[in-house]
Amino acid sequence: MTCRKAKKLMPLYSGNDLRPRLTAAVRTHVDSCPACWKELAEYRESLSRLKAAAKAETVPDWSEGEWRALAARFKPAVAANKRSAFLARPRWAAASVLGIFLGLAALAMLFKDGNLGPRETSAAAEPSVVSLTLVSQETGLQIVWFLDKNFEWKGDEN
Amino acid sequence: MRMSETEKELVAMVLSGRTEAFEPLVTPYRRPLLALAYRLTRNREEALEVAQEALLRAYRSLARYDVSRSFKNWLFQIAANEARDRFRKRRREKAALENAARTERPVAGPEAGRERREIRSDILQCLPVLSPHEREVFVMRDFEELSIKETARALGCSSISVRVNLSSARRKLREAIRDNFPHLEETR
Repeated sequence: MTCRKAKKLMPLYSGNDLRPRLTAAVRTHVDSCPACWKELAEYRESLSRLKAAAKAETVPDWSEGEWRALAARFKPAVAANKRSAFLARPRWAAASVLGIFLGLAALAMLFKDGNLGPRETSAAAEPSVVSLTLVSQETGLQIVWFLDKNFEWKGDEN
Repeated sequence: MRMSETEKELVAMVLSGRTEAFEPLVTPYRRPLLALAYRLTRNREEALEVAQEALLRAYRSLARYDVSRSFKNWLFQIAANEARDRFRKRRREKAALENAARTERPVAGPEAGRERREIRSDILQCLPVLSPHEREVFVMRDFEELSIKETARALGCSSISVRVNLSSARRKLREAIRDNFPHLEETR
């Protein structure tokens, strides 16, 4: 390795931030080159002085009032987290999935039996199908169940 | 540093609507975050604004936080972005002001000489020789002691970019120290 290449890599070498292969090459060169060794010492010295100054520096801290004022601002943003909060509730999610599944199963059964023909929807005919709609006030999710007018299971009679 | 189980629980609590869990989640990082903001801005009031905005952003974006990452580094990333945005805004404003006041530049008086001497007394006053990105990289790697990979992730850039900027930052700082603190060189 040449001095020029070693000096180019020196800033990273001084902080142990070179890849192992390059680290070994620079170390070999520096060990045998007094000029590069002197430059490395300068880099290490300036870096260690800066780090020491940063550690010794008095950095500002929050006053209790500033922290309280900020903590109070964490609350209004709740609405932004509402959707993700809902998804994070496993019981709610499981209940919703179950409700949707039951609704779809009821619909599939009713269509299979042919009970949803246009004749039953006329004003004169007595309705033979009753629908039950469940609406979640929190999420707006709607689940519609269709049932026999006597709430009896007719699926196996045909 | 991976996220602890307690932190994971606190994150889950906040996401489930228990917002009071956010404060204990971020309290251990409030001082390091403000210190980082101060090292990036070198101004207490601005650092406070950066840290506040970073924590509010973190609160609003918590649902997007990847729990496999270090929470501290995630907060640092948000703070660095905020500091960078403010720096860009300030630079635009400064350029506009300088254009307006170009013909009214005051002559430096005796106060300026004293001010320069005071600045030279603090080695950290060399940091302004760095570009904003160099300063971010240097502060993250050498003051906050993040690894190259963590620094890259926190700043949203590649490891190569971190190495290039870190190398440039250390070179500039060494030269600035040599020029402004010659007595330190003599005492070695």
